[in-house]
Amino acid sequence: MSQKKSTAKKSGMIMLSIVILLYIILYFYAPQKIFASLHANLKLLKMIAPILLIVFFLMALLNSFIDEKSIAKHLGKESGVKGWFIALFGGILSHGPGYIWYPMLEELRKKGALDGLIVAFLYARSIKLPWLPLMISYFGITFTLVLSFYVVLGAFIQGIITNMLERK
Amino acid sequence: MTPKIVQKIKTAGINTLKSLWITTPILLAVIGLVGLFKTFITPQMIHTLFNKNVIHDTLIGTTAGAISVGQPFLSYIIGGELLQEGISMYAVTAFILSFVTLGIIQLPLEFSIFGARFTIVRNLLSIIFAILIAWITVITLHYLHGFFT
Repeated sequence: MSQKKSTAKKSGMIMLSIVILLYIILYFYAPQKIFASLHANLKLLKMIAPILLIVFFLMALLNSFIDEKSIAKHLGKESGVKGWFIALFGGILSHGPGYIWYPMLEELRKKGALDGLIVAFLYARSIKLPWLPLMISYFGITFTLVLSFYVVLGAFIQGIITNMLERK
Repeated sequence: MTPKIVQKIKTAGINTLKSLWITTPILLAVIGLVGLFKTFITPQMIHTLFNKNVIHDTLIGTTAGAISVGQPFLSYIIGGELLQEGISMYAVTAFILSFVTLGIIQLPLEFSIFGARFTIVRNLLSIIFAILIAWITVITLHYLHGFFT
């Protein structure tokens, strides 16, 4: 295991231990709430498990069939408009909490994808297609359309800023 | 399938399982924190942070969104209630945006996977853009409203 991977595993274990300790301490303070939290965790796990499987399946595909050259072509410095298109629409279409996409996105970075495209992908994820009808019912269609437009524009600008910072 | 492809798939499978193994503890930690926040930080607590001053509320909206967790529809419900209570649209929009783009409890995970530089740049940009997009969205809505009436 490389140094970076071993550090990641170690920091993960430390954080998990802190969270478990937090649960134990809070159990004495509010046991009912701790049971409710555990119930919420189980629900969340059930919800993200299928998406997590898809993400890791995509990672396996990425590892076996897509090499650095094609990543560089589609998401690297020479990707151009196509790269932005993939990042923005990929972000809008992706499901589940953002953090379950992190390992796959890091894999893409390692293979040469631009940081700006990863940032754009993560920001474009704030457009949640399944929840748009609810947003419209709460805030109206004009608000939803205007906000969605600026989110895409914002994701693009943030990506460009990140790439500019990267070059420095 | 040629033996070369089978070998490639096998190696990729092992690499993926290794990644999963490395990510699992911190992923479980984040899920654990999400559960705690859902139970201990109630929408009522978030409500009490606002004081109807536009600049203060926009900043509070961004911060409250960043510390809140849950499905996006929760931010619409809380945002809708805040609007009814007279909190500005700037603050509510900033809250909805930072609810989905920022996450204090997933920061350690982001940090350990992407590294410090990427995490800091991405989160700083998200904070700035939550405020900027909130302002520009509300200003555009004012103009559109004036244009159509």
